[in-house]
Amino acid sequence: MLLSLPTLAEPQHFSLAEKLLFAGLALGSAYAFWRRFGVVVGKILKSKKDASFHLFPIGKRVRDFVWEVVFQAKVIRERPAAGLAHAFVFWAFCAFALVTLNHCADALGIAFLDPAGRIGRFYFWFAAVFALACAAGILGLFVRRFFIRPKWLGEKLSWESGFIALLIFALMATYLASFFVADAEPSIKILWWLHTLALLTFLPIIPHTKHLHLLLSPITVFLSRGSFSQIPPLSGDEDFGLVAGTDLTQLVSLQAYSCVECGRCTEHCPAANTGKLLNPKEIVLGLRAYLNDLGPASDQPLLGKYNSQEAAFQCTTCGACEFQCPVGIEHVPILIGLRRGAVNTGEWEDDHGSKLFLALERGSNALGLNPAERDKFIERQKLPLFDGTQEYCLWLGCMGGYDPKGREIVADFARIMNFLGTSYGVLRKEKCTGDPVRRLGNDLLFQQLAEANLEALAQNKVKKIVTICPHCVRTIQEDWKEYGTPPEVEHHSEFLARHLAQLPPASFSPTDPRKKDGVPKVPLLGPGKEKIVFHDPCYLGRYRNVYDEPRTIAALSGELVEAPRNHNRSFCCGAGGGLSFLGEETGERVSHVRAAELVATGATTVGTACPFCNTMFRDALATTGDSAPQLLDIAQLAARRLPERDAS
Amino acid sequence: MKIIVAIKQVPDRDAQVRIDPAGKWIEESDLQYAMNEPDAYALEEALQLKEKHGGEVIVLSAGPECVGTTIREALAKGADRAIHILCDDLGARDALGVARLLAAAVKPENPDLILTGLQSEDLGLGQTGVIVAELLGLPHATLILHVEKTETGLEVKRELEEGWFQTIQLPTPAVLTMQSGGNKLRYATLMGIKRAKTKEMQQLAAANLGASVAPVVVLEQIALPKKQKSTQMLAGTAKEAAAALIEKLKFEVRVL
Amino acid sequence: MSGVLVVIEQRAGKIARINWEALAAAQRLGAPATVTAVVLGAQTEGPANEIAAKASGKVLRVEHPLLAQYTADGFCLALQQLIQNESPTHVVFPHTYQVRDYAPALAARFGQVLIGDVVAITDGPVFTRQLMQGRLNGTYRHSGSGPCFVSVQAGVFLADTSAAGTATIATFTPTIEPAQIRTKPGEPFRAAAQAVDLGSAQLIVSVGRGIKAQENIPLVQELATALGAELAASRPICDAGWLPMERQVGSSGQTVAPKLYLAAGISGAIQHLVGMKGSQCIVAINKDPDAPIFEIADYGIVGDLMEVVPALTEAVKEAKQ
Repeated sequence: MLLSLPTLAEPQHFSLAEKLLFAGLALGSAYAFWRRFGVVVGKILKSKKDASFHLFPIGKRVRDFVWEVVFQAKVIRERPAAGLAHAFVFWAFCAFALVTLNHCADALGIAFLDPAGRIGRFYFWFAAVFALACAAGILGLFVRRFFIRPKWLGEKLSWESGFIALLIFALMATYLASFFVADAEPSIKILWWLHTLALLTFLPIIPHTKHLHLLLSPITVFLSRGSFSQIPPLSGDEDFGLVAGTDLTQLVSLQAYSCVECGRCTEHCPAANTGKLLNPKEIVLGLRAYLNDLGPASDQPLLGKYNSQEAAFQCTTCGACEFQCPVGIEHVPILIGLRRGAVNTGEWEDDHGSKLFLALERGSNALGLNPAERDKFIERQKLPLFDGTQEYCLWLGCMGGYDPKGREIVADFARIMNFLGTSYGVLRKEKCTGDPVRRLGNDLLFQQLAEANLEALAQNKVKKIVTICPHCVRTIQEDWKEYGTPPEVEHHSEFLARHLAQLPPASFSPTDPRKKDGVPKVPLLGPGKEKIVFHDPCYLGRYRNVYDEPRTIAALSGELVEAPRNHNRSFCCGAGGGLSFLGEETGERVSHVRAAELVATGATTVGTACPFCNTMFRDALATTGDSAPQLLDIAQLAARRLPERDAS
Repeated sequence: MKIIVAIKQVPDRDAQVRIDPAGKWIEESDLQYAMNEPDAYALEEALQLKEKHGGEVIVLSAGPECVGTTIREALAKGADRAIHILCDDLGARDALGVARLLAAAVKPENPDLILTGLQSEDLGLGQTGVIVAELLGLPHATLILHVEKTETGLEVKRELEEGWFQTIQLPTPAVLTMQSGGNKLRYATLMGIKRAKTKEMQQLAAANLGASVAPVVVLEQIALPKKQKSTQMLAGTAKEAAAALIEKLKFEVRVL
Repeated sequence: MSGVLVVIEQRAGKIARINWEALAAAQRLGAPATVTAVVLGAQTEGPANEIAAKASGKVLRVEHPLLAQYTADGFCLALQQLIQNESPTHVVFPHTYQVRDYAPALAARFGQVLIGDVVAITDGPVFTRQLMQGRLNGTYRHSGSGPCFVSVQAGVFLADTSAAGTATIATFTPTIEPAQIRTKPGEPFRAAAQAVDLGSAQLIVSVGRGIKAQENIPLVQELATALGAELAASRPICDAGWLPMERQVGSSGQTVAPKLYLAAGISGAIQHLVGMKGSQCIVAINKDPDAPIFEIADYGIVGDLMEVVPALTEAVKEAKQ
């Protein structure tokens, strides 16, 4: 079968002049390539070492590399059409490595693949299949960029992208054409030279443009910090975060040069989508511009000319950017790093921010409320105090302890645990886990809070924590590690999903919507009448990979519908990253955009699993008019299955 | 300008108040401490004066070893050096006794200005600064929100009752007690804490600052107030409830 | 040493209620006939007569041109001379801003310490004052020799204004040199009125979602006007554009700490609570008896604000007449 197909034609003879010309051009091209690439590599290598970086465990790195780079899985999954087109180009480039090497060797008379031989014949045809796919792919990408023009690629047309597309197309076309010219001179020579010129033009363009990602992004993906949104510990007495060029680590610099400017981060960013200054892509490109102009040894501030402080503090740390990034850039640690630089040195001046910091310097909760209010709630709700004998420590968090809505969630979750006979208790005193100050970059305060809490938990001999707040979960489990060994912690959705079978079946008897006996009751709309849309909290979904548990719980109450952006593409409520404490946002409110999306599903109930989302949507849903869906935490949904409490 | 800021370490705002078995003071074992808030405003004013006019800010605090953490916080926020009067029996001294210690420590420094908070959040005496002025023979002003340096001395903004203010001119050296809220406080930073480690912290033994005098006023006993704050619901028709509320506003809240 | 001095504070000839309360406290420390009321100033005839009509002991006019305007130096000098003259067992003050400014220094001149802001006087005498921001009460005793200086908190000692005064009036002229007064006080002024200054407002009437419609806003505005209060709102009201954004109280708006915060139709979302929790007195009007606002309120009225607010406006107007 193979034998009946045409054979790739190769020029058989090169004159000395041709050989010299080729060698000269190749050297020139290589020189032009290295002149830029060498500089980039130099800037990356001269950056500060990543003190906390470990190559091990290497298994995960290899798996991620194979999945994300070799299989292009992330690229394809998030944008299937463009992703597949990109994958064809990428795979063709891989297949072409050998072809190109042989192509050059041919000019010097040392070709190692014989187009007529079994191996050569097979390989050239194998490459031809990829070439065909690549040509189609690059054509598709060209059409998309210059005719469909998605807005996140930026308003300005990138002519260099067009030129590169042309070169790639030329490379593929000249290769494919070589199958149909037999060995006839001069056409085969012309094709060879065209291919060569395209190749030698392409090479130096790579390091000068975003196509640098061809070379860097596989390394960037392989050398990621290891887990999602991982904030590296500060190292030494002079590390305050990303203050100046000297603070840029090799990983940050590598990531800055890896950006391919695809705009996926911008497309998914809640700030960029609501008219704020922050655009995660521009943050990365700002660092790149800084490195280009000033380099990693500069003591010029990173925030100012190249990146804006205002933008850095508009990030909700939802992590959509980092989650989407196909080239391994870790945006959240970069943004938090910039905030650390501004806060740890006192550069950041913000009335609301200072108020939050001072509230936590002097008190126990981020809301600045009197802890006696929490005591009163515990007493009124008859929550048992943790005494070391119970299985769970029920961590209230600031929202669960002080926010009227958060308290309703805690009350219902406690009722469920009572029903299940699970032993639990709350701490007499609790301090904020430090989530908002951690994300705002106040390392001093975060350390104080983490250490005080770790000590209190150890004193109380807490082994397991359950809490209604995904921010608490994340901070306790991951961020506290810097200062000790936190107890096991889980989110109440995980606990509830595990125990769902033990709850009685839902009773759809009409109930009084008013509160009775201090227990808020929520109307059931009856079987088939309730449509529930579940909003994935960032810190539960992307940060913890918990998507199904809350849905299982919600699904038992009614019909589950999905918002257009769901699961790991969920759109932030606007509260994260300490932003719920920073006062009014500029532009549109993130919470309003998301609430509108949730309402548009036609759901009668919005299900949440985070007290911050809950409080954001409470206000946002109110603006959607009288027909606003009811807003319930999954604990409240689950608690509706409990038997009515006796009036006695 | 050479400014001394006298600060006090007090139980933090959220501290759980439990009375010790003798009924003399609260259990200190499980307390966490913070800088007295009005003192934090005094420090802020001092730092802003220094930023504007140059000079030196020295923090001064009396108390046991653990007061060091609050002193370091002040150094971290920008004070240049500190004087710590080591004194384990602060609670046994009355306001005059404490003021004598502070005045004795201030005297050799010859500052241009002495700032302190209007009152402390724990004892709430509101006297220490005024007595220090008296002991040093310096003019003073209290309830100050803002300090301006003039050619001859100081011009300060003083809070009066019911939303009134007053400007007072006084020569230096002088003592001012600062009201909360005149400035925006700065937050403590990691860089500040690290830099504070290298700043000078002078320790003075209380015994070397003059003989201790028996207190003339003694705190004999402490107790929890009988009535905890609770919500009073005013029932009746709209008219009745309104009338009941007016009574409360007149005689309990005293805003009518 | 005998007798009790009470220092009465007059401002432009007027005597505020707290002074009568201080007089009542002084009468508890010594027989009314042994109480000497002291009034300082350049012209004290009017206030002295007013005091004499209510007290039974003695009234002393401490007059000097240099006492025309309050200065700590002038008052300390004058009272120091007077106390040396009279050698009372107790000196009682109303706990005002002025007293806080000079009384500690005056006491120190006698080697004494003022027992300030007293809320109760029991046998002994034992003085009770609040500690830890009102979370504790402490009892104090004066243990040294020499006069005991005490200042009393407003509103705790009921002034007995029914007794007919029989007090005699005398004058005391202290020796004060102009050079002894080191501070130069200026005339009192109010802060320049900003368009909306909720932060320094003493009284605030705040409205929330319970108001239902923009047309009802004037209802609450009238109450605010009657009280002389600033009008504020929760976020949904400002979001809806019913009141301007600068009137928003809460985490995304302003933080306030007035003497009175009257919340009408505000359920008490956390964003709102954090902005007004520092208020000295919180009154809540809401038709939902379970509204969280009632938890932090000092006084609560369960009812429709459309009825309660107008009734209240009327009652305020009546009370102010």
